[in-house]
Amino acid sequence: MKLLEKTSRIYLLASLVIYLAVGVAFYWIIKYMIYDEVETRLKVEMRDFESFIHTHDTWNNNSYFVENKIEVVPVYGAYDHSVIFKDTLIQNRYDEGIGPFRQVTFYTVIGGVPHRIAIRKSMIESYKLIEAISAAMITFLGLLMISMFLFQRRLSGKLWKPFYDTLTRIKEFDLTQKEKLQLPQSEVTEFSELDDVLKKMADKMQHDYTSLKEFTENASHEIQTPLALINARVEQFIQSKDLSENHTYWIEEIYHASRRMSRLNQGLLLLAKIENQQFTEAEDIDLTELLKNKLPDFEDIIRHKEIDVEMNLTGSFDIHMSHALADIFLNNILSNAIRHNLSKGKICLESDAGFIRISNTGHDLKADPERLFERFKKESAGSESVGLGLAIVKQICDNYGLAVAYTYHETIHSILIRPEVKEGNG
Amino acid sequence: MKILVVEDEKGLAESIVDYLSKEGFTCEVANTFWQADEKVSLYQYDCTIVDLTLPDGEGFGIIETLKKIAATTGIIIISARNTLEDKIKGLEIGSDDYMTKPFHLSELNARVKSLIRRRNFGGNNDMIWREITVQLQARKVFVNERETLLSRKEYDLLLYFLSNIDVALTKESIAEHLWGDHMDSADSLDMVYSHIKNLRRKILERGGKDYIQSIYGIGYKFTAS
Repeated sequence: MKLLEKTSRIYLLASLVIYLAVGVAFYWIIKYMIYDEVETRLKVEMRDFESFIHTHDTWNNNSYFVENKIEVVPVYGAYDHSVIFKDTLIQNRYDEGIGPFRQVTFYTVIGGVPHRIAIRKSMIESYKLIEAISAAMITFLGLLMISMFLFQRRLSGKLWKPFYDTLTRIKEFDLTQKEKLQLPQSEVTEFSELDDVLKKMADKMQHDYTSLKEFTENASHEIQTPLALINARVEQFIQSKDLSENHTYWIEEIYHASRRMSRLNQGLLLLAKIENQQFTEAEDIDLTELLKNKLPDFEDIIRHKEIDVEMNLTGSFDIHMSHALADIFLNNILSNAIRHNLSKGKICLESDAGFIRISNTGHDLKADPERLFERFKKESAGSESVGLGLAIVKQICDNYGLAVAYTYHETIHSILIRPEVKEGNG
Repeated sequence: MKILVVEDEKGLAESIVDYLSKEGFTCEVANTFWQADEKVSLYQYDCTIVDLTLPDGEGFGIIETLKKIAATTGIIIISARNTLEDKIKGLEIGSDDYMTKPFHLSELNARVKSLIRRRNFGGNNDMIWREITVQLQARKVFVNERETLLSRKEYDLLLYFLSNIDVALTKESIAEHLWGDHMDSADSLDMVYSHIKNLRRKILERGGKDYIQSIYGIGYKFTAS
């Protein structure tokens, strides 16, 4: 939910509750005051009536014009002396309408006989008054609420505008570009502080990115060049005619070591580049299709090892990623499945919209399968590989929101790739 | 055939020159950008080998100058940078090949020769060595005028040998030549062995001599001696 929407909602809810409470309280206060007034007048009339009885000791309904106003009824039997006020509805004398009345009931003795006397007052005018006041109040409160609501909406929209501007700029910010993060100046201290902090962070990130990028480029050049020299010199050296067996052995060792070093260096630099997210270009790639196209590259070795390849590619696995990385990714997985396979073994490729699985037969696994994704973890210490292949696969997966799992079950090794399940509200 | 080697690492430049000179090329070296720039504008070369990272400039600049002056010169980039962007840029501005350091001298040699062949004859000539004739255009191989059918890899292997006659080739360089550098495993060395066995057998079948000599611990040599 957006910030402005959220504050609007909270404001609306709170003001609704407050205005409702104020409205109800106001209504009760007015009602109480009107009743109080009516009852005071009824009490005055009651006293007038009693003093009239006291003087004349008789009552004639005719002495009052207004019929329903005073009702005198003789009471037989027990009565109490309580004075009771209550609301009642009485039919109007002239038409069929029923009107609300406030009535006071009390007992008094007229001519030696106890009577119950009820004196009434029409409430119709008072009710009309209450209605009018209430209507006016609801209207005014409603108007007040709407205008306050609109006002606070505009106000918070205006107040938060620098924040939204900053947010947009940060979203557009690309740390791989040379352009610095530009943020609008705000007169609100908190926002300008936020902008300062963000600018500092962005500058630092940009600086780190560039220096790491330069480092990988330089390291690549500075290490590969001497290695190229070693390689070249070894090649020249082996051309000599009179090499003893010992010489050949040493030179072979030097050659292998330098080749391994070169591969190690390339692998580590590639990892650093992926980690630093230097592969910025991306396109929509169907990994299933790419996997299918990759197989012919390995045709020779598959035939040589007499590996049986079983394909069960049903759907396309689409992803938006760098083509160069997708290539490296599948290359590593496939060559892994071939390198660690048995001769006359089997490779099974399965894919669907939601996953890609590459399984191969192989030797027993001694290490924990998940640990094979760590750098320099390899099953056999003496093997030619430098132990970075799966670490690179894992790093690529991490960068593109893929989950990769290595499972091992009864000599079948499988690598399962699928989109990462995002946790929480995303 | 004249070749210019633009490489700031003196030892490496020396190795390249040494290796290519033995193959019959006349080589010159430039260690800096300006040296290379000067040489390129003064003399004519059949092929130029350019390193991209030079102390006083980018190798790309030399390629651009070369393309303006003499468009017929073949250009091979040798660089420690192996990013796709660099490779694409190199090809876009007119280089013919891109090799990532470290590379094999034998591979560089094969590529220089193939480039010069393409430049000079449009790939339309035959490669003849003793009783072996290779029709490059048709990708056909004749031994004693009788055609022998080679697989794609065997053909590539033979061509690689013919480009590096009398030179000791490591098994690794052969494997890399045939399958690229992503095929690094003990299996690929086995495969080299079986391809060589087949090639040797096919040449012998047509009455050719056995020119493939194996060198213990290192690799093979294609030689008449």
